[in-house]
Amino acid sequence: MSDAAMEISVNPDRFTRGSKLVDALSKAGLAFAILAVVLYGSVVSPAFFTSGNLLNVLTSMSIVGIVVVGMTFVLVVGGLADLSVPATIACGAILSLGLQPMIGPLPAFVLAVGLAGLIGLLNGVLVGYVGINPIIATLGIGTIGLGIVQAAVGGVIVYGSNPASAEFAKGRLFGIPVVVLIFLVIALIGHFVLSRSFWGRWTLATGGNYSAAEASAVPVQAVKAGAFVITALTAGISGGLLGLTLQSARPLIGAGYEFSAITAVVVGGVSIIGGFGSVPRAIAGLIFVQLLTNVMVLDGVRTPIQGFVLGILIVGAVGMDAALRKRGVA
Amino acid sequence: MRFLSLASQHRVVIILGLTLIISALVVPGYFSASTLGLGLDRAATIGLIAIGLTVLLIAGQIDLSGGAVFALAGIISVILQREIGILPAAIVGILVGTVAGAINGALVVGLKVNSLVLTLATMLIFRSLAHWITNSQPVSGTDIMLSLALAKTYLDIFTIRSALFIVLIVLLHVWLTRTIPGRNVFAVGSNPAAAKESGIASDRIVFFGFVFAGTLAGLAGVLQSLVTNTGSPVFGSELTVAVIAAVVVGGTRLEGGRGSALGTLGGVLTIGSLTIAMEFQSVPAYVQQVVSGLILILLVVLDRAVTTKGRASGTRPALISDNPITQGGTT
Repeated sequence: MSDAAMEISVNPDRFTRGSKLVDALSKAGLAFAILAVVLYGSVVSPAFFTSGNLLNVLTSMSIVGIVVVGMTFVLVVGGLADLSVPATIACGAILSLGLQPMIGPLPAFVLAVGLAGLIGLLNGVLVGYVGINPIIATLGIGTIGLGIVQAAVGGVIVYGSNPASAEFAKGRLFGIPVVVLIFLVIALIGHFVLSRSFWGRWTLATGGNYSAAEASAVPVQAVKAGAFVITALTAGISGGLLGLTLQSARPLIGAGYEFSAITAVVVGGVSIIGGFGSVPRAIAGLIFVQLLTNVMVLDGVRTPIQGFVLGILIVGAVGMDAALRKRGVA
Repeated sequence: MRFLSLASQHRVVIILGLTLIISALVVPGYFSASTLGLGLDRAATIGLIAIGLTVLLIAGQIDLSGGAVFALAGIISVILQREIGILPAAIVGILVGTVAGAINGALVVGLKVNSLVLTLATMLIFRSLAHWITNSQPVSGTDIMLSLALAKTYLDIFTIRSALFIVLIVLLHVWLTRTIPGRNVFAVGSNPAAAKESGIASDRIVFFGFVFAGTLAGLAGVLQSLVTNTGSPVFGSELTVAVIAAVVVGGTRLEGGRGSALGTLGGVLTIGSLTIAMEFQSVPAYVQQVVSGLILILLVVLDRAVTTKGRASGTRPALISDNPITQGGTT
C-alpha cells in the first residue's frame, strides 16, 4: 500500500496511454446510462417525469454536487479520497445554525465554512507535506473533527433560530431553487479552475506524474494540500446549506455523503489514481447516480439496497478504470 | 534522531506504560483483577480484528471493511440460531467473514486496485447487506443463558473471548517469526517485485491475507453477538479507527513489510485500557473518538518522520533489519 505518488513515478507514460479509448467509452457509456435510467424511470413510475420530482432530485443533487466539485480535485491530484467529508459537513451545518444567535446568520455561515476549511488544511498538511496516506489521514482527522464538533454542542441536535436565512436557503430565484443556483456557480468556478487556470494544470500535472511535476517546479505539496482544503470548503458550504434548509443539524448529518461524492466522481470516469478528470465528468456521474437512486426510491427499493448498489458501482468503476488504463495500483 | 527512532521502536512499551500509569492515577482500583479482566475482554474484540489487520498491513494491504464484516457475521450467527441451532449458526457466521475476506482478496488481486479504495467500497456493500437483512433493526438470539456463560471470567481475568485472543496472538507471533510462509508475508510487503522474483506467490499471499482478516473479523463479530445475544447492523462502525490505531501503536507500518504480533498485542492492550479508563470516568463517546483519532494521527506522523529521515540518508533498512525476531525481541 505505497503512496499513490510513488506508484505514479514508476509509470511515466500512464498519462497518455489509452486515454482516447477511455474518453470515448466513458463519455458515450455514461450518456447512454443516464438515458437508460430516465427511460426506465418514466416507464416504471408515473411520478418520475414530473416537475416536482425532478426538482427534488435537482435540489438533493445540488447538496451532494457541491461536495463532488471538491472531491474531483482530490481524486485528480492523486489524493485517493477524502473521508473527512461527514465531519466537515457536520461542522458547516452545526456551526452555521449554532452560531446564529450570537453573531447573525451570514457571519455564522462564513465562520462555519472557514472552520471546515481548517479541517481541510489539517488534512492537506498531513497528506501533502508530511506524506501520510490520504485515507488514513482523513479518516483520523475526520474522527477528531467530528468529535470536537459534537463536544462543542454537547452531542445534541442544533436548531435554527433565524427564519429569514431559512427562507433564503429554501427560496427560489427566477423559479430555480437557490441551492441549485449556488451549486451551479460552484461547479462553474470549479470547472474553470480545473480546466483553464494554472492551479488546474498544476493539479492535473501533480496527479499525472508527481516527480515530473515536482521537477517542473510545480509546488506539488501545496497543490496536493490545496485539493483537501477545496473539498473541505465545499463540504462546509454544502453542510451550511443543508443545515439552513433543514433548520436542524445532528452530528451525523453528513454521514454517507463521502460515499455519494466518491461514487459520483469515479462513476463519472475520473481516475482514482489521479492525473485525469474534469468537473463536468464528475457531475455526469452524479446525475446518473442520483437519478438511479431516485428511480430506486420511487420503485420502493429500501435504503440499504441503495448503499449496496453504490458500493457495487464504486467497485465496477474503479475496476474498469484499472482495466482500461492497463496499469495496476497495488 | 537516533533517540527518536529508538523511542519509536520501543514505543509500545512506553505508550502502554504511560496509559496504565495515567489510568491508575485517575481511576481508583484500576489494577483490580475485575477491572483488568473487563478491559481485556473489551480489548479482545478490537484485538481479534487487529490480528487479521496486522498480517494484511505487513503484506502491504489494508482492510477497511472489518467493522462491517463484524456486524454482518454477528447478525447471521444470531438469525440462523432458530433454524439450525447455536453452534452451527456460529460456524456459518464465521464462514460469512471468510467469504467476505475472499471477496475482498479476489477483487484486490483480480482487479489490481488499491485495497484502501476497494475495501472502502466493500465496507459499504457489507454494511448495506447487514441493514438489508435485519431491516435496520437489532435482532436477538434464542438463548440468553449462553451469553452469561460466555461472559464468565476464569482465573479472575480471562473470559473465553480474551483467552482466545491471547492464544491466537501467540500463534500469530510464532507463525510470523518461525515459519517460511510467515517470513514470506514480510517479503511481499517490503518489496512485492523482489518477492515475486524470488519465487514467492505474492498474489496468493495477499489473497489469503484478506481471507484471514475477514475470518477473524467474522469470529470477533460472532463472539460479540453471542455475548450480547444481539446482532445489530450498526455494530462495529466505530471499530475501524480503533483497530487501525491499535495496530499502528504496535509498530506495524502502513507502508508494509514491518510489524509484529507482540507489538499488536501491546497496541490492543493500550487501546483497551484507554477505553476502560475513559468509560470509568464517563467520558462521552465522541471524546473517546477524538482520543483514538489523535493517537492514530500522531503515531502515523511519527512513523513517517522516522522513515523519511532513514531513507534520505540512504540507510533504508534492509529486509534483515526488519527481521520480526529482533522486532519481537524489543517489544
